[in-house]
Amino acid sequence: MAIRERWAAVLAGLSLVLLPAVLPEGNPGGPSLVPPARAEQPQGQAKPVLRIGAIPDQKPEKLNRLYPLVAAELERQLGVPVTYVPVVDYTAAVTAFRTGDLDLVWFGGLTGVRARRQKPGAQVLAQRDIDVAFHSIFIANTGSGLKPIHDLKGLTELKGKRFTFGSESSTSGRLMPQYFLAKGGVKLGDFAGGAPGFSGSHDTTIALVQSGAYDAGVVNEQVWRTSLHDGRANRAKVVAIWRTPGYPDYHWIGQPNLDQRFGKGFSRKLQGAIISWRTTNPEQKQILGLFGAQQFSKSTAANYKQIEQVGRQIGKIH
Amino acid sequence: MASLIPAVIRTKIHSAWAGWGAAGGQGASPDRAQTTLIWPTGIAAPLAMVAPALVLIPVLGLLPGLVHGGGFDLLAEFVQAAFTPSLDPLVVGSAIKGLGITVGIALLGWAASGLLGLALALASSRQVWVTYCGQVWPANLLRRLLALPRSIHELLWGLLLLQVVGLQAAVAIAAIAIPYGALIARVLGDQIDALPSGALAALRCSGVAAPQALLTALGPPLLPGLLSYGGYRLECALRSATLLGVFGLGGLGTELKLCLQSLQFHELWTGLWLLLVVMLLLETALAGLRRRWLMPRRLGLGGPSSGNPRLEAGAAQGSGSGRALAPWAPAGPGLASPNPARPGPLPTNPLAPESGAGHRGQGRAPRPDKLGRRGREMVLALVVMVPLLVWLARGMGVHPLGLLHWQPLPNLGGASWASVLALPWPQLVGTTLLLTLVAAGLAVGLAPLLLLVIAPWPWARPLLQLAWALARLWPPPLSALLLLLLLKPGLVTAALALGFHNLGILGRLLLESSDDSQAPAEGALQGAGVGPRLALFYGRFSGLARSYLAYGAYRADVMLRESVVVGLVGAAGLGTQLLESLSSFAWDQLLALVGVYALLTLVGEDLSDRARRRLLAPT
Amino acid sequence: MSAAPASELGQPSPGPEAPRQELPWLELSQITVPGRGRPRLDRVSLAIGGGERVALLGPSGAGKSSLLAVANGLLRPASGSLRWLGTPPARSGRARRRQQARIGTLWQDLRLIEELSVQQNLNSARLAAWGWPRALLNLLWPLDTAANRDALAQVDLGAELLDQPVSALSGGQRQRVAIARLLRQDPDLLLADEPLASLDPRLAAELLQLLLNQVTPRRALLLSLHRPDLLAGFDRAIGLRHGQVLFDQPTRTIGPADLEALYGGEQPDSGP
Repeated sequence: MAIRERWAAVLAGLSLVLLPAVLPEGNPGGPSLVPPARAEQPQGQAKPVLRIGAIPDQKPEKLNRLYPLVAAELERQLGVPVTYVPVVDYTAAVTAFRTGDLDLVWFGGLTGVRARRQKPGAQVLAQRDIDVAFHSIFIANTGSGLKPIHDLKGLTELKGKRFTFGSESSTSGRLMPQYFLAKGGVKLGDFAGGAPGFSGSHDTTIALVQSGAYDAGVVNEQVWRTSLHDGRANRAKVVAIWRTPGYPDYHWIGQPNLDQRFGKGFSRKLQGAIISWRTTNPEQKQILGLFGAQQFSKSTAANYKQIEQVGRQIGKIH
Repeated sequence: MASLIPAVIRTKIHSAWAGWGAAGGQGASPDRAQTTLIWPTGIAAPLAMVAPALVLIPVLGLLPGLVHGGGFDLLAEFVQAAFTPSLDPLVVGSAIKGLGITVGIALLGWAASGLLGLALALASSRQVWVTYCGQVWPANLLRRLLALPRSIHELLWGLLLLQVVGLQAAVAIAAIAIPYGALIARVLGDQIDALPSGALAALRCSGVAAPQALLTALGPPLLPGLLSYGGYRLECALRSATLLGVFGLGGLGTELKLCLQSLQFHELWTGLWLLLVVMLLLETALAGLRRRWLMPRRLGLGGPSSGNPRLEAGAAQGSGSGRALAPWAPAGPGLASPNPARPGPLPTNPLAPESGAGHRGQGRAPRPDKLGRRGREMVLALVVMVPLLVWLARGMGVHPLGLLHWQPLPNLGGASWASVLALPWPQLVGTTLLLTLVAAGLAVGLAPLLLLVIAPWPWARPLLQLAWALARLWPPPLSALLLLLLLKPGLVTAALALGFHNLGILGRLLLESSDDSQAPAEGALQGAGVGPRLALFYGRFSGLARSYLAYGAYRADVMLRESVVVGLVGAAGLGTQLLESLSSFAWDQLLALVGVYALLTLVGEDLSDRARRRLLAPT
Repeated sequence: MSAAPASELGQPSPGPEAPRQELPWLELSQITVPGRGRPRLDRVSLAIGGGERVALLGPSGAGKSSLLAVANGLLRPASGSLRWLGTPPARSGRARRRQQARIGTLWQDLRLIEELSVQQNLNSARLAAWGWPRALLNLLWPLDTAANRDALAQVDLGAELLDQPVSALSGGQRQRVAIARLLRQDPDLLLADEPLASLDPRLAAELLQLLLNQVTPRRALLLSLHRPDLLAGFDRAIGLRHGQVLFDQPTRTIGPADLEALYGGEQPDSGP
């Protein structure tokens, strides 16, 4: 007993000695917590950090491959430190943008509209070539008996089937498909179980439909193509049954105060950097490849009026 | 929620008490006090314990219609992956890092809630106010006010804070600290006021100043209860921190969610196994401390036996360092239990369902030298903890002041209350209540049922314990997502996920208290050739039933609060609507929903308090 | 009643070599149970036949409780053999339980189920024979009321107690209910561990008589006793000291010297 107590006393003494050692040193190389969003909070610090983010519409591993590349490229082009901050869902991305934890975010159509509504003054910077007329693909498990659909009316075939969207706030995985479904006469309550599922991301939708957990689902065309290309989607088990008409989708949005924080004309420099990416540059080619695009072009808020209207109709924008 | 106990039983209990008030009177000795706890003859005690499992019948009936056929392959993959977690250094490294953050959030949130709770407990204690200024009303007022933060689940706090101050480490910590602090304040406040005031009055009369008198008279008796309850809260905090991560507030939970969503089961299991190790280590360590410091058990299900089972005495004396004591009701030296002459104070505190039963707790007084040692060790532990917490906070980049940088909420002006009113409120509330009821029935009823099933097979026990540990470990939304691979979204799926998680918690408590309680009747039945299951059912469960159901009532109250976290499987009432409103940034709806939730949980808390009081009322 | 076979079995020398007409109800040979320091039971042998009333005497710590625990199968001896009605304890749990169902034990602490009613407690004696359906039904519905009423009548209790919870009974009533429960079990061998220890003399005498009355030619009684003055109704007494059998002889042949040797100066009073 006595030995143990002495031991404990030594331990306590040590910890008291350590206390002041810990205090001034600050972060002793420990893992810096949550996404470095706030750890690098540039409150009066010498060099502000440009924090970029994206809605997690695909597998985290792919996001983790793509966005660090983007960060590195922008850092090289702009000469400011750039970090990538992963977020867990679409809502979190919008919130992080509104609260100023993210400076530049790759938003979907719907999330972008929301972000701008919540952060007046936010600037639409650029979109991909494919975002001008983006498409969603309805997919089905081959065992579900669903046949390819040729027009809107054909969507009624989905009634009574197990159906999953992607994320609740996804433009291509939920908003526009729901809009087209409504136009085709299918209500959300018409699916098996009285409601559709929300898989959370496009990749998951493909995996779930392929496994048979759901008869059908809807994903964005670019992810669908990539999955077919790299073999994640097995044509023997999952097939495309309908391609929606085009609508505007993804885009880069920047904080309103970029110029104040990084210097005059910074947002224009940023926009210029993004739209300058070409497939002739090896790094930029890799980035564009992962984005599934040939190049980026300037975009404006006006392009997303239609999305805003649909969002209102469906009640996803208030 | 009281509704967990079928109304029939409740009315029976009620009438039983009304009728047997006189009979109770003859139990004069503390031992007999237990025996005078009368169970109505209509529904026998052991039966009432497994009766909630009746909810299985409709659930099992509905299940075939809910299974959507697909997904079995994925589930098989998931189960297989349990045996082959990814050992890729990158995956393990990121899981360990995530785990570090989760543990950090849990520890810091817990420590903050402890301080907050202690301060608020003192501020809401009637004794303290009377000692200082002779008034009671400030204490009562504060108590009322504290009901609000308590009634909102930590996840909601987290999501709301996230909206207001942005993503930072302090958000998750504050999300845990606020509701936990309010809970601790209530429990401790009740305990302080239940302590005998004699010592305090004596000190005050001899001219001791108020602070010193309070510290001397109330501090020592309060400490064991405080620490025991604090330990329990730490276990809860680890679960909460994981859950917050699932909703994007950082740590391992975030990784688990992302792995599950992208169906990377091997990577998922790497994180789960690591989390399991940490959770079991924590639970074991806390149980060890509890034993070492002779603190009251988490849950004194089943009081000490009144008999003298000499045949078992040899074995029992060696193993138990304290029989099942009243839970957080202070036990130990110099710690008179609440004045036994008074019929009250009834256990109003939500987490100490047995504090009423505390009257019969036979606190085994530690020897004086042990007492001093215990005090010294507690202080030591606290001292060691301070630098650890500071290091953690700095390592995680916690800036408490960051919580003060509020962001304006967008478009609050344009609140359209018409659209709020247009929500299907009765249906939302009804679904939420039904969800809670089904989940509570599953959790409360299944735990004893499973124990009965495995009673004859000693080898099945560790398996059941492992299954329960995994159930506690998995945040309900993860189970819900997993269930969606097999089942259609909806109420039953949500209830299964919620029930499964709570089954893990209830099962462990039941097993612990069942092991701690002496049940001579069980031995007697076995001696007469009764099989192990029936002997357990009749002989042991009879004595455990009351306190178990009382705890179940508390747990149902927790489940009502928790029902928000399974909202993502759809059709799950307020929770689903809340997440939907959150993702649409509909502030008006959000505000109304949180308000209704708070109201519901307050009513539920009140009902479950009443149920517990009835179940545990001494005599 | 029929004490004839008892006297034949009541040999001073322990062991089964005594002549007998039928298999002993309970037979222990060379039973040893280890304990701290010295064994709790040290090569104990004894046999009890149908219709016998046997008292177990000895100072506290002599091993009386251990012996009874071995006799009803709760305690497994380290060595030696045990036979119930001529057969050793079965290996399979089910068969063993069937054997144990023939042995009724009256515990000093009674071990009634406090939360249940008198009727449910009485019926719990039948659980070994009942399956789950009846066991569950018993908790919902009054079963076997007639049999329970008879059992209560045999211990001089009225049927109005049937739906009372056990915890509402007085001490004497509880003792009687415990005996009534034994009657419902209808065992061949009755074991009782100091059933009179904490009772006042009048109640103790009444209760002892009640127990002795339950012995029939096909039922034997082994009762551990702390007070030699209550030996009168027994056919035979076994003296236990330090885990060993000191004597085993008809009660009428026991003299003060035997008791002096047994208690060796210790007060033969209560005190388990």
